[in-house]
Amino acid sequence: MSDPLDSPDGNWWDRAVNRREAIWLGIAGAWSLGIFGWMSGFTQFGDQNPIGETYEVEIEEYRQRVSEYKDEAADSTEFEDAIVPPGDDVYVAGLRFFWDGLPVVLEAGREYDIHLSSYDVQHGFSVRPEESLSKQINLQVFPESEWVVPMSFDEPGTYHVICNEFCGNGHNSMHGKFYVKE
Amino acid sequence: MNPVTALFANDYDEDGFRNCSVTGLDIHRSAENHVKLFGLTAVIAMVVGGLFAISVALTRWELIGLIPEDGYYRHLSMHAWNLLIFWMVFMEIAILYVGGPMVLGRRLPITSVAKAGWVTMVVGAVGINWSIWTVDGGQVAPLLTAYVPLDVPAAFYASAVLFLVGATVAALPFFVAIWKEKRLGSSETLPLVAFGAFVTSIIAVMAILGGIAAFSYALIWKLEIINSINAGIYRQLYWIIGHGSQQINLLAMITVWYFLTHVVGGAVVVSEKVSRSAFILYLFFINLGAAHHLMVDPGLSAGWRIFNTSYAFYGAAFASMIHAFAIPAGIEAGRRQRGLGGGLFGWLTSAPWKNPVFSSTVFSIILFGFVGGITGVLMGQLQLNMTWHNTFATVGHFHGTVAVGTTLAFIGLVFFVIKTMFRRDYLSGTLASLVPYFYASAMGIATLMMMYIGILYGVPRRTSSVVRNIPGTDFSLSAAQPLFMIFGVFAVLAITAGALFVLVSVGSILFGRQLDRDDDAGLLPDGGLRADGGESIHAVDMRGTFALCLIFMATFVALYALNWFLLTRLWSIGA
Repeated sequence: MSDPLDSPDGNWWDRAVNRREAIWLGIAGAWSLGIFGWMSGFTQFGDQNPIGETYEVEIEEYRQRVSEYKDEAADSTEFEDAIVPPGDDVYVAGLRFFWDGLPVVLEAGREYDIHLSSYDVQHGFSVRPEESLSKQINLQVFPESEWVVPMSFDEPGTYHVICNEFCGNGHNSMHGKFYVKE
Repeated sequence: MNPVTALFANDYDEDGFRNCSVTGLDIHRSAENHVKLFGLTAVIAMVVGGLFAISVALTRWELIGLIPEDGYYRHLSMHAWNLLIFWMVFMEIAILYVGGPMVLGRRLPITSVAKAGWVTMVVGAVGINWSIWTVDGGQVAPLLTAYVPLDVPAAFYASAVLFLVGATVAALPFFVAIWKEKRLGSSETLPLVAFGAFVTSIIAVMAILGGIAAFSYALIWKLEIINSINAGIYRQLYWIIGHGSQQINLLAMITVWYFLTHVVGGAVVVSEKVSRSAFILYLFFINLGAAHHLMVDPGLSAGWRIFNTSYAFYGAAFASMIHAFAIPAGIEAGRRQRGLGGGLFGWLTSAPWKNPVFSSTVFSIILFGFVGGITGVLMGQLQLNMTWHNTFATVGHFHGTVAVGTTLAFIGLVFFVIKTMFRRDYLSGTLASLVPYFYASAMGIATLMMMYIGILYGVPRRTSSVVRNIPGTDFSLSAAQPLFMIFGVFAVLAITAGALFVLVSVGSILFGRQLDRDDDAGLLPDGGLRADGGESIHAVDMRGTFALCLIFMATFVALYALNWFLLTRLWSIGA
């Protein structure tokens, strides 16, 4: 044993490590590898992974695609101002200070490809069902980058989208909805 | 003597050295005065950032809702830059000068460079504060991150580059001191504290280079030298400094832990090999942790994210768990050897708990590990990050690390420096003893509330109102209101505790009783710094530390399981 303000004496490298410290090294090392393994494995067997294809896209091009998508989509008969997507693709774009493409009506249990991008600055795509605020997910949204993340909502209900990345004065009013029905 | 000269006065011999009555180190005037200069500047930054903590906390506590939205972002930017960056980095330069020249008994070389570094840092810091405060028109306050393509003032990016260049310049005398020690001094191994400081400085340079790259990239875009800027590339560059700066804090803090637990608690190094290996693991892996911030970004492959966020198979988390054992074990072994306290935890209960240097350091170790450390690993897991990213829980995490952990360690260091370098007694011993307890408990609870609010109610960070009212909709996160009541009260108490710390420390420096040359100021552990005799080291065991570490691991496993349970209740996401 030595003190931290002095150079250690002699061959300090070969000095024995205390047994309890050695056991701790084993426990900490095993835990480190274990949580690495779980995180990696979960991408294979798990249902919640922030993984999807990303494409480079010009802002104007994405705006055009969202506009065409909205033209193709039907107006919802049940929910005010909401649209029903024509297929499995759902387009969402952040812009100061609302979500273009929302509100949208989806079917519970059906898998959709959610396309995420921005027309201006970075935004935070933060979603939760109205009934259970602790069930929430958050994804980062960029301009010039189209991220396609598949999602299927199991429970029907209203899911609220707020922006959780600072995007300018007015940021706290940015809000949109997914209506998920049976 | 005028009061400013008095701050920098001490009894030096004709070569400019004095022998410290507490640590026994030979200290040169040049090193000591620059430690004081950078340390005092850090405290000023803490006061500025602390003042803005009041308006930020009282706005987030929407019951009070102190300032409107546009003012809030300016206040939040001031709070962030002064506390997360200026209070920390000025203090860290001081720590480098302690860990290098002071521990090695050398003068501080090239002092004009140190001063130039200080001036550059101050100009950069003032420039950042000015550009935040005067933001108007269509432009927005930068917050900590200044994410492009937000319209942040060009002066902000320029000042940030200047500050980082200044920090690099200020670190140069430290490198020269180490170089001189190895080339001209002894061929002995560096003491552990000097070694820790050296690794800290390398991590710092890596981080700072990333920061200069990020802010320069944004600056040339603002100046229209380039036409477009890529948000993803900026984020990758930015987080080299954004997270890297906090890794500098971590390493500086751990170095301070080894230093202060030894001087005031009688700790020894139980294994040089193990502790130094942990620092080497940091050197290679810790800066990969910058990827924590990019877990839910588009465009990055899952493999890249998993490798980096895990610091390459958790190499750096493993290193932290090594220190988590080695430091308390050092206290336990050192104190058992002196015969101080039997049983499982007698070494701990008999410790100098009234000494604010000791209590600050130990609270820093415990709370950093349990609150900041565990949550850092949790939110850094690729999938769990979806539930943490940009929520108020993230803010809780870095208040656990920086505002509780590192700040407490640095509070302990300031209390130590008041007695050993300014040679003043505390204005009030009782109040000084109270500060760590008051601050650690109030800030600790405020931090836990931030985490609960973020995880359980999905309340976002960086917003002035969202809980009681999201403008333009009936929806709100009002279920989180009760927890905000607790948060608000304890945030106010934590700020009060911080103010008490400033009052006691600045008051002591200016008006405290002058200590005699040989006075050890009551800092040393029973038996002195290096105890003679006592129990043989072979008879010393570390079962108390082992028990504490098992409690830590059980907490870690439980929180890990709980977070994953919450995640798997979600709808299905991702390819």
